[in-house]
Amino acid sequence: MKHIAKIMAFLMAVTAVWISLLQTKMIPQSHTWLLPLYFIVSLGCYGLLMVGVGLMQFPTCPQEAVLLQQDVIEAKQFLKHNGVDVGTD
Amino acid sequence: MELADRAVGFILASISVTIFTYYTFWVIILPFVDKDHFVHNYFLPQEYAILLPVYAGVTLICFLSFFIGHVMLKSKKKKT
Repeated sequence: MKHIAKIMAFLMAVTAVWISLLQTKMIPQSHTWLLPLYFIVSLGCYGLLMVGVGLMQFPTCPQEAVLLQQDVIEAKQFLKHNGVDVGTD
Repeated sequence: MELADRAVGFILASISVTIFTYYTFWVIILPFVDKDHFVHNYFLPQEYAILLPVYAGVTLICFLSFFIGHVMLKSKKKKT
């Protein structure tokens, strides 16, 4: 439950900042009305950016892939030798 | 294989950067520009800056609820 309380407190703080921005007219009112929507869109964009960057930087370990294939072949031979059905080859 | 992954990741990142800069320009910078400036031709009227994300969000929520309902119905049918 504590995590929900933290999230709620954060949302309350952001709402309070937004309402105070509406009252004191530092930023033009038309801008202040669009701010929450802008933040939601930018949050979605940020998530998409992180996904793209993570995809680009994902390591593939080609040597481990080769070793894994060798392990698979070895295991299949051993099991077939002992009579277990290993399916299609 | 990793080249395809890299290409997809790059495309996703570039799409997100494009959407972010376009939307920032639309919402924050454009209201301060004079009405006669040529750059206004490249952006839709300001009402669409609100309508498009709301429409996309509503579509997303509809799709999610449809998907969840469909999966729930399928699992219930399989159980009986």
